[in-house]
This record gives sequence, structure tokens and C-alpha cells, in this order.
Amino acid sequence: MNRRGFIGYVIKQRTLLLMLTPAVLFFLLFAYVPMAGIVLAFKQFNYTGGVFGSPWNGWDNFRFFFESGNAWMVTRNTALYNIAFIIVNNVLQIAAAILLFEAVGKWFRKISQTVMFLPYFISWVVVGAIAYNLFNYDVGTLNSILTAVGLEPVDVYNTPAYWPYILVLVSAWKTLGYGSVMYLAAIIGIDKEMYEAAEIDGANIFQRIYRITIPNLFPTIIILVLLAIGNIFRGDFGMFYNMVGTNGLLFSYTDVIDTFVFRTLTTSNEVGLSAAVGFYQSVLGFATILLANYAVRKYDKDHALF
Amino acid sequence: MQKKKSFMLLFAIIMVLTTVLSACGSKNNENPGNSSETTNKPATDATEQPAGDGKADTSEEVKIKMLLVGGKPIDYDLVFGELNKKLKEKANATVEAEFLDWSDWTQKYPLKFAANEDFDIAYTANWAFYSDQAIKGGFMELTDELIKANMPLSLAAMPAVAWEQSKVNGMQYMVPNNNPEVTDKAVLIREDLRKKHNLPEVNSPESFANYVKTIAANEKGINAYNAKAADGWKWHELDQILLEQQNEWNLVDYSMPLAYKLDDATGKIFNVYDTPEFKALVTYYKDLADNNAWSKNVVSNKNDVWQDMKAGKTASYAHTLGTVAMNLAEMRREQPDVELAIADLTPDKKKIAAISTQNGFAIHATSKKAERSLMVIDLLQNDKEIHDLFMYGIAGTHYEAVGDDKFSATAGTPNYTGFSNWGANSPMNRKDAAYPVEADAIASAWQSKVYNFDLETFVFNDANVKNEVANVGNVMLRYAIPLEYGLIKDVEKGVADLNAQLKAAGIDKLQAELQSQIDAFLASK
Repeated sequence: MNRRGFIGYVIKQRTLLLMLTPAVLFFLLFAYVPMAGIVLAFKQFNYTGGVFGSPWNGWDNFRFFFESGNAWMVTRNTALYNIAFIIVNNVLQIAAAILLFEAVGKWFRKISQTVMFLPYFISWVVVGAIAYNLFNYDVGTLNSILTAVGLEPVDVYNTPAYWPYILVLVSAWKTLGYGSVMYLAAIIGIDKEMYEAAEIDGANIFQRIYRITIPNLFPTIIILVLLAIGNIFRGDFGMFYNMVGTNGLLFSYTDVIDTFVFRTLTTSNEVGLSAAVGFYQSVLGFATILLANYAVRKYDKDHALF
Repeated sequence: MQKKKSFMLLFAIIMVLTTVLSACGSKNNENPGNSSETTNKPATDATEQPAGDGKADTSEEVKIKMLLVGGKPIDYDLVFGELNKKLKEKANATVEAEFLDWSDWTQKYPLKFAANEDFDIAYTANWAFYSDQAIKGGFMELTDELIKANMPLSLAAMPAVAWEQSKVNGMQYMVPNNNPEVTDKAVLIREDLRKKHNLPEVNSPESFANYVKTIAANEKGINAYNAKAADGWKWHELDQILLEQQNEWNLVDYSMPLAYKLDDATGKIFNVYDTPEFKALVTYYKDLADNNAWSKNVVSNKNDVWQDMKAGKTASYAHTLGTVAMNLAEMRREQPDVELAIADLTPDKKKIAAISTQNGFAIHATSKKAERSLMVIDLLQNDKEIHDLFMYGIAGTHYEAVGDDKFSATAGTPNYTGFSNWGANSPMNRKDAAYPVEADAIASAWQSKVYNFDLETFVFNDANVKNEVANVGNVMLRYAIPLEYGLIKDVEKGVADLNAQLKAAGIDKLQAELQSQIDAFLASK
């Protein structure tokens, strides 16, 4: 067996390898093959030349992004929003998972889980429409209520300062159910004997959560947060675009790299410029994840991703 | 058993490898392949075909795919079925159209070219990426030979100046429409409301302001003025009237704020945002906004303004004369009790004649059926029978013919309308018998004030300054739009901010580049 080397190994592990194939294929097709498109960032795109035949133009495509004065603002917005989403969403998801785990009554648990999960299935386009009907100045639900009780209406769509709160809230609402399932699975995986022992020793429910559940969740939390950090420079386009649209007044608080790129591509129709910004995002994301992983390794080698 | 299993595995691996390789392979090969094809194609077409009797070979039936802008009409199958019978008879070709809906055509249109999808004829216009796509190589160059061989009717009917105006960098990429008109805009207002409140006639910026302010103050639940400000358009929708027409300026390209004076023979370019006229206009807008002339959420509005107006929720909007005249006719037909009127806010100013690129058809650069496509366009524009079908639908169902040059609408009219068949506009167009006489009066008054100037046909090539164009566009969306819709409290500061941001975005470089191109253009005249 040994003498047949690699082929022998392949035959021996055929089942596992076959199971691995779809994932490998997926990443090859959708992550590695399109990577060749990076060359567009350094090209002056035209239809006749296409992706590979268009003439090179060095770092020219990057100039617009950094000279625009928008680079810092959109990068900052993207990172800050994502940090807020990671913290708020994870804390809420963990809390929801613990509550669901501790909740008594099978029906109550099932129903509340379903209700939490529901928003995950609503498309951002619909969420955007719902938000418009809630917040618009003239006929929005919010202002109708406010004026009915004699308060001043608020002009949500022209006041950028409200938007960080709205966006964080909407994101939490939408991802709560989905995220809590993962944590719930992790909690269910915790050894039941530990809880029984703690109960016999007289630990109350808060002590059990604080001393057993949360410490045991740490590996899951670290992995999920590390994965999220890799995407910290990618804004959730569907969310920002459908919630804000092309409302220029809100951009200072709501424009993320992805919406900025989208506008540049569609209103000026320049593929090279957009590819350049995508490249910039990837490099930043790559650096952050290396850094975060390094920090985790320092703290605890076993919990690092690689 | 063991053998069978390993065979299966081998098979699976081979499958995997072929898919991966073919995916890579096609990606690598396709584009360079296309490039040589596109560059050679027009040349070979031109030399091969007319060699015989000057007419391309039509013995084989072909299917031409068209890319049109606008919603798919309800009776598409019916009308195009009929149209295809005629086209098959005359050019042995059938057409099949794909429609890009108005709501997102600006996003989809360039993608169709970037993805090199299979289509032959594309609707295009100066407001629909014409020069942009031409410069990027999306359209096939229409050589004189191609046109001579395949478009005898257009060649006879189209004035030379129309061809000349639709050239980009000296090359023809479009079969322009053949329908001189004025592109100036007018405002559609609710005449009944004006009378109800005893307001003077609306015929100037001041009387218009008076009208909208009165409506806003007295008519609950109606937006006095409305616009679709969130669709990526970088100007206030009244700007063309109140900034360009009023001051007799012409913006070189709507993606940047650079204009020249119509009567300035030297073509000196200036930044419109940096003029006292602009500041005065923003103050005017601010006053309207403060009086609730439009919704506070106008920049998030995604509704169709004309539909809102029909529903009685909007009391004025701005559009080209032809469109508002059609709106007026439609309203008279459907809701005779609502009285509308067309208001010309700048009656005494110089008018700009529409250049021929206002509508047109182009051939996709990678089309293999260019000759037949051109024949089809030739027939759509100039063959009475086919032209009528394509423009108005089936006689008796979608329109009622009135003489040779007019039609009247029927109940079926709304089932075949609303998309860009305007590329086939020609002197054979029928006029709506119910076309409002007042619109005709305005149109003929405008014709007499048409001002012709050298720079009419100038097209800006932004290849050297695309970074600046992109950045300036972003600044316009972010700073100019809120300012113009009166959403910025301090006008003075808003204008200063806007100009500071424009400077940072490279407006000076853009202006220098544009000026040098204009100077060169004028020198060559």
C-alpha cells in the first residue's frame, strides 16, 4: 500500500475526498478562478480587449479612490459599522441562545425561535420598503404616531445622525435568529453532567450561565468573530443600498465601500475603477484577519484559525 | 466490486477536472478571441458582401435580437408576430426584442455589453450611453459600404447632417432617428387648480413659484411639484429649464457641471456651480422647499411621477415637450374632468435643436448579422407598413389611422406603448390626432427660436480624465442634489462646500481637458 504513494492514498481516502470535492470545486470556481479578474484593477477596460486583452494602465485606477477624499470616510464607515454589527449581533445572539436554552416549554421555545428566524428570510429590498413606510416624513408610520400624540415629526431621511442606530438595529433584528441557532447548537453540545454537578453544588441559574455556558461557548465565539473580522472591510451591500439608496445627504454616515463602488460603476460605467477598490478591500481584509488570528494565537494557540 | 468503485472515482475526478479546466479555458480564450473578431468583423463584412450586386445575401432566414429600453408592452407577442411576418417577407428576417425596464435599465444596459450577451441591435441615444459605449468598443463601426449596401431607404431619407451629428471621433456607430425636434423641457401643471386659486398664467420662473407655493399651502395631500430624484440623475429636474434654458447655457455632458454660453463662439467652459446664477437658483429652490413645494423625502422617492400626477397626488412635473404633450392627451382621454396645461417657463430664450443622437439604433460590436440588422433598421424607419406596426401597433387594435399622417388612440393603445421604439422615428411618424394644439403652438414657436451653433455636435471623450469624472459625479450626487432640493439649511455654505469638494475631486483638470478638446474641435471647423 505504502509503495503506491499518492495514488494509493487517494484510493484509500476516496470517500472523504469525494465528500470534499463539492467544497473544493465551489471555491475553485467562485473564489480562485475569478481571482484572475484582479488584473482589471490595473487595466483600462474596453469591450474589444475584454478582461485580459485591455491595455495596462498601472496604478491609474487607484488614483480616483484616494484622490476623491472619500477613501478614508467610506473605509472608516465600513469598518465601524462592521465592528458594531459584530459586537451587537453576537452579544444579542448569545443572549438569545442562552434564553432559548434555559426557557421552559417546548412550544414556547419553538415559537420564539421561529419568530426570531423570520426576518432572516425577508429580502433587503422588502426591508427597505418597510423602512421607507415607517420613516418617511409625510405619511410614515413613525411620524403619524408622533403627530397624533402631539409631538414634532422627525425627518429621518434627511438626518444622517439617526442612521447608525437604525442600521445597527435592523441588522440585529435580521440576523438574530440565524446567529442564535449556531450558539444554541454549541450550548446543546455542552456536557450535561457539568450542569447537574453545579446544580448539586447549589449553583443558581446565573452562576450556571456565567461559569459553565459562557466559558464553554468561547471557542465558538472566537471562530465566528474571526470569520466575521475577515469581512470587516466589506459592507453588506444589499442592506446599505436598499436602506439608503442614492440619498446623497446621508452618505457621510452611511456610505460604505461597496455602495460607493456600486455608484461609481453604474453612473460612470468604469469597471477598472471598481476592480481597484475591490482589490483594496481584499488586501485590507487579508491583513486584518492575519492580525486578528495572530492576536488569538498569542492568547491561546488552540483557538486560532490557523 | 473494488474495480468498479475505483472506476467511478476516476470518472468523478475526470468530470471535476474537465469542468474546472473548461471554466478556466473558456475564460482565457473567449476574450482575446472576441477581440480579433470584433476588430476584423466590420472590415470583412464590408468587403465581402457588396461585392456582388451590392446587396447582402438574404436567402437564409435569420433571427435578429434587439435590446430595447422600457417595459415590455402587453401586446408584444401580437404586434411583433405581425411585424415578423412583414419583415420575413421583405428581408427574410425576424426580430425578437429584449426589454430593460425603466426602473433599472441604467444598471443593466452596460452589463449586457460587458457580458457580451448575444444581441444584434441595441437602442442607444446620447442620454443612453451612446458615446460611452462607442468609445469602449460596444458598437460596431458602420462603414459607408455597410450603410450603402444595406440601407437604401435611410440613405435617401436621412439628411447628411443627421449622420454627421451621430459620429463619435469621426466614426459612425449609430443609425440616428430622423426626426428633428427641440429638446427643451416644459412643465405640466394642473390648470384646474390654478384657476381654482385664481392664479395668473404660469409662464416664468416667478409665476411657477407662485403656483407651487399656493398649491402647497392650500391643497392637502398633494405634492405641488414632484420628481424622481433618487435614480442617479445628478441634477434637479427643473435645472434644464431654470439653469440651462433660462441662462442660454448648454451643459456639455450631464455627468459634469461644465457648460458654455450658447452664443459664445469661442466655446469658453465654466463651472455652473460657481456662478451667481446658480446661487440665485438654489435660493429659489430653497424658498420652494421651505414652502413645502415638494416632499421632504423627494431624494428617496421611487414612484413614477406621471402616475402620481394621474392619481391626483402631484400638481406639476417637468419633462420634454413631446412627453408632457402625450401626458396631456392621455389625461384628456382617461380623465376628462382633470384639466392640465403645459407651461413654458422660458418662452423667449434661444432653443437648442435636438441633435440626431437623441434616439437611434446601433449594432452590437460582436453581432454576426450586421447586414441584416441594418436592413431591418432601414425598414423599421422607412417602410410605411413596418414603421406603423413598430411605432403604433396593429391598426384598429392599438390605434386608428387618421389619414396618412395622424392616428387616434384606442382602448388598446396602452397595451403597446412605453418603450424605446423611438430609434425608428422618421418623417413617417403619425401624429396623435388628439395631440394638444397648445403643444403644437409651443413647438412651432420654439422652432422659430432654434439656435444653431458649432459646438452642437461636439462629443467629449473622457478617457484621460475618467478618475475625475467619477469623483465629480459622486460629489454632484452627494452635495449638489441635497442642496438643489433645499435640504441644506445654509445655501451660502452649501454652495461653498460643493465647490470646495469639486475642487478636491479634480474639476480643474476636467475643465482644462474639456477646454482643450473643445478648442481643437472648433479649430477643425
